[in-house]
Amino acid sequence: MARVKYLILLVLGALALATVAAGAASETGVTSTQVTIGGTTPLSGPASAYQSVAKGAAAYFRYVNAKGGVNKRKINYIYKDDAYDPSKTVDATRELVSQDKVFAIFNSLGTDQNLATRAYLNALKVPQLFVASGATTFGNDYKKYPYTIGYQPNYRAEGTIYGRYVVKHAPKSRIGVLYQNDDYGKDLLAGLQRGLGAKAGLVKSKQSYNVDDPDVQSQIAKLKAAKVNTLMVFATPKFAIQAYVYARKLSWKPLVYMNAVSSAANIMGLSTAATNKKQTEGTISIVFLKDPTDPAWRNNSGMKLYRSIMKKYKGGNPNDVYAVYGMSVAHTFVAALQKAGKNPTRAGIMKAADSLNVTNDPFLLPGISVKTSATDHFPLDQARLQRYHDGHWVAFGGLFRVR
Amino acid sequence: MRSRAPGIAVWLLVAAVVLLAYLFAPRFISDFHSRELAGAGVFFIAIVGLNLLTGYTGQISLGHGALMAVGGYTTAALAVHEHWRDVWTIPLAGVAAGIVGFLIGLPALRLSGLYLALATFAFAIAIPSLLKKFSGLTGGSQGLRLLEDAPLQVTGLSGTVTIFGHTMTQNHFLYYLTWGIGLVGFLIAWLLVRGRVGRTFRAVRDSEVAAASVGINLAWTKTLAFALSGVYAGVAGSLLAIQVEIVNPLSFTFLLSILILVGVVVGGLGSLGGMILGALFVQYLPDLSTHVSTAEGAPDFIFGAAIIVVMLLLPTGVGGFLRRLARPLTTRLYLRP
Amino acid sequence: MILAFDWTQLAQQIVIGLASGGVWATLAVALVLIYRSTGVINFAQGEMAMFSTFIAWSLVNHGFSYWAAFVLTVAISFAGGVAVERAVIRPVERAPVLTVVIVTLGLFFVVNGAARWIWSPETRSLPNAFSTRPISVAGVAFSISDLGTIAVSLAAVALLWAFFRFTKLGLASRAAAVNPDASRLVGVRVTWMLALGWGLAAAMGAVSGMLTAPALASFDQNLMQPVLLYAFAGAVLGGIDSPLGAVVGSLLLGVLINLIGTYVNWVGTDLRLPVALAVILGVLLVRPAGLFGRPMETRV
Repeated sequence: MARVKYLILLVLGALALATVAAGAASETGVTSTQVTIGGTTPLSGPASAYQSVAKGAAAYFRYVNAKGGVNKRKINYIYKDDAYDPSKTVDATRELVSQDKVFAIFNSLGTDQNLATRAYLNALKVPQLFVASGATTFGNDYKKYPYTIGYQPNYRAEGTIYGRYVVKHAPKSRIGVLYQNDDYGKDLLAGLQRGLGAKAGLVKSKQSYNVDDPDVQSQIAKLKAAKVNTLMVFATPKFAIQAYVYARKLSWKPLVYMNAVSSAANIMGLSTAATNKKQTEGTISIVFLKDPTDPAWRNNSGMKLYRSIMKKYKGGNPNDVYAVYGMSVAHTFVAALQKAGKNPTRAGIMKAADSLNVTNDPFLLPGISVKTSATDHFPLDQARLQRYHDGHWVAFGGLFRVR
Repeated sequence: MRSRAPGIAVWLLVAAVVLLAYLFAPRFISDFHSRELAGAGVFFIAIVGLNLLTGYTGQISLGHGALMAVGGYTTAALAVHEHWRDVWTIPLAGVAAGIVGFLIGLPALRLSGLYLALATFAFAIAIPSLLKKFSGLTGGSQGLRLLEDAPLQVTGLSGTVTIFGHTMTQNHFLYYLTWGIGLVGFLIAWLLVRGRVGRTFRAVRDSEVAAASVGINLAWTKTLAFALSGVYAGVAGSLLAIQVEIVNPLSFTFLLSILILVGVVVGGLGSLGGMILGALFVQYLPDLSTHVSTAEGAPDFIFGAAIIVVMLLLPTGVGGFLRRLARPLTTRLYLRP
Repeated sequence: MILAFDWTQLAQQIVIGLASGGVWATLAVALVLIYRSTGVINFAQGEMAMFSTFIAWSLVNHGFSYWAAFVLTVAISFAGGVAVERAVIRPVERAPVLTVVIVTLGLFFVVNGAARWIWSPETRSLPNAFSTRPISVAGVAFSISDLGTIAVSLAAVALLWAFFRFTKLGLASRAAAVNPDASRLVGVRVTWMLALGWGLAAAMGAVSGMLTAPALASFDQNLMQPVLLYAFAGAVLGGIDSPLGAVVGSLLLGVLINLIGTYVNWVGTDLRLPVALAVILGVLLVRPAGLFGRPMETRV
């Protein structure tokens, strides 16, 4: 079986060589008709809900290909399963680089997962583009790892915003934090403490939980016992909803700051239905993507485009905000590829990724642009504050930098 | 009178074929596939070890993934914190996991069958939390990355490795290293099983009371089996860390323990021969499942269904099935005058 | 010193522990049930319960009243449990125990994968059978739902006890589990008894899922995975062959985990689970069959 596979690979390899030799000398993964990129995403296992990041992007690429592609090349996007296990990420990424001969690694999901392959990719000078992770290191460590760049606003910056907001508007708060015991939760917490600065003492209680804990009742009770009146919820949706429900059970109504990952309108709707409108009233969060479950965007042309692409190109469940993210990052990749010119090289697309200026992304909030430069390796670093009022989100305060 | 000669000749032939296959396989498969085979080799070593425990002394362990974690983290920690060369950590990783296996074996003496299975299950569940807690040593939830923090300790960093004058790619090196150790480990297990240790193990499995009544020290035997299988798991974990050049709590979840156990049972409890097939099953099946369908949930469904189908068709595993097939053959070989 | 100690917080954490443990108890009873009637540990019990929860949700979503959906789901789950036993367990009834364990592990992936394939991975909610109005007694808060969940597990234990003790079917089921060969000789349809055991366990699992989902405030395909763990731990602590032990063990475990996590600082939240498991191990070393379990006898 391996023998047959080897023969097939040999033939395909010869064909590929012939094609390449026939055309102009070009970069790995680039032919005259196609650019091949690849990434890893959890298709199996408990994190498989996040695969919509890849599926949304794939649907967008199919849409772009139907319109002719980029510089007459279609985008061939391969994504492989790593079951959220970094050791499998290493294997799958090596396969993409050495077997599938991709032009670049794109949109791989997970902090630990991308950290596992970063050194390898940079050593081989394979671009590690638009990593799907909120960890600051992907934007901060570009001197050591110039071939790596992230995408989404990072968690630490988000926490910093909340900290600064409290210092400015409610400097006498008693803050309590419910946070997930991993990079995501700890980054948000670290950001909060940075944003509070000298007032870090406002944090009276920090309670963490593990993803495989069944409930956070105990943590909520401890936070209430610490006489907290401002609750930072740095938790994924399941536990974010629990925070509201268990607080209500204790007849406790703190002011809640909800992290962006768990602020989607349908999640807030579940929280409100499980408690009451009063419990969720006044919750503060930040947002940068258009939320597909928020009725405010029902007639928005960008979201109409999103829904039509999801339907026509089978992107999956249209209510999934991760799919919107996937489309946004795919949109940015197309812009970078365009900028890399008629004969894109790996170094060239890295340069394009480091000098982005995309202002027409239909999936991001109006006014948010995708910008990078020699000193700014965070493509998305703007967000809007919003407050939950009477069962829906209301923006306030305008856009500002999440840095 | 039965002639032993055909029996020995057959085994020597099999050994020669295996040795040749091992030495020359990389010539026939791509560089990348050598790496995939090395991955199967890691499972092979862990599965042979678990078979010694579960197949031969009848003690069920659902925690061997955690023992692999001990081995893998020992290797990574020694490389990153003490600057050991990655390959020289392998024996120590095996010993560390063997010690932990022994420590598990001690309370296991009081627990039987089901409770033992659940206790080892608990250990497998607890390990990621423990790994995250002692983050100074283990790197916490981010784990340890050899390429970033200990690049000089990685064999084959440049892409090629030179041993005894031969130069080969890093992937080939990993293949030869893993399967070389695997074959040696298999040989040791085979010798143990054929000898007195194996008879003692089987006696304990079949009837503890009978074994005790002929003077077998139950406690010593059972903990030895745990320690021994721990050494194998530790070496496997170490080789895994060397192959992927990272260790992370997410790589050592309960799923890994399940996969090793599935590999043992599919391969055939108490049958060393089936273990290679068990390892290949466990290495390639999850990947194949995603090739069949990437619809959400489909890969897991297919993987589970394949496990069930194999168990329904071959309840004693491939090894048991092969033994049933081979019995008429060897009987004939032995009984011919 | 006694006055300075926060007794209310202690009482609150104990009550929370009982509430959490009460949820695990419902699944623990299903695990014990299947072990008692078939001698098998079913690793897929949690996933089957999760699948039942999705069925209930679908029914409610299609307009059925909550209680109609509840009863229908229990019935469908019972039938499903029987079907699974006949299709997948019966062929390996006579195979080594470990083979059956592996089959249940395969079933875990099959059911989980099927649930992900049929229903999208969105977070959903299921209505609560009981009121969630907060009640406060002496500064300690809880809800009717917490009491109701514990009451349901105890009721299930009582019903099962009555069934096994006083009905002919229950007697036949016990006989089939303890000595299948002898039971066949006296006319017991052993294979159907095993199927009955699986059906009952699946039905209990459905109840568990439908109580767990609202207790944990939302659900998705991962609902029962952490619960399975704690349910196993609670059942082992109480004795894997005792339904009452399963309930008591789960409640104790809930309280234990909360108290250790609250009052032993270096444990915090990171090590709650390993420490709780270590405690259970300690108990097992003293009483290898669990608190209420019957020690297994070895026939020579």
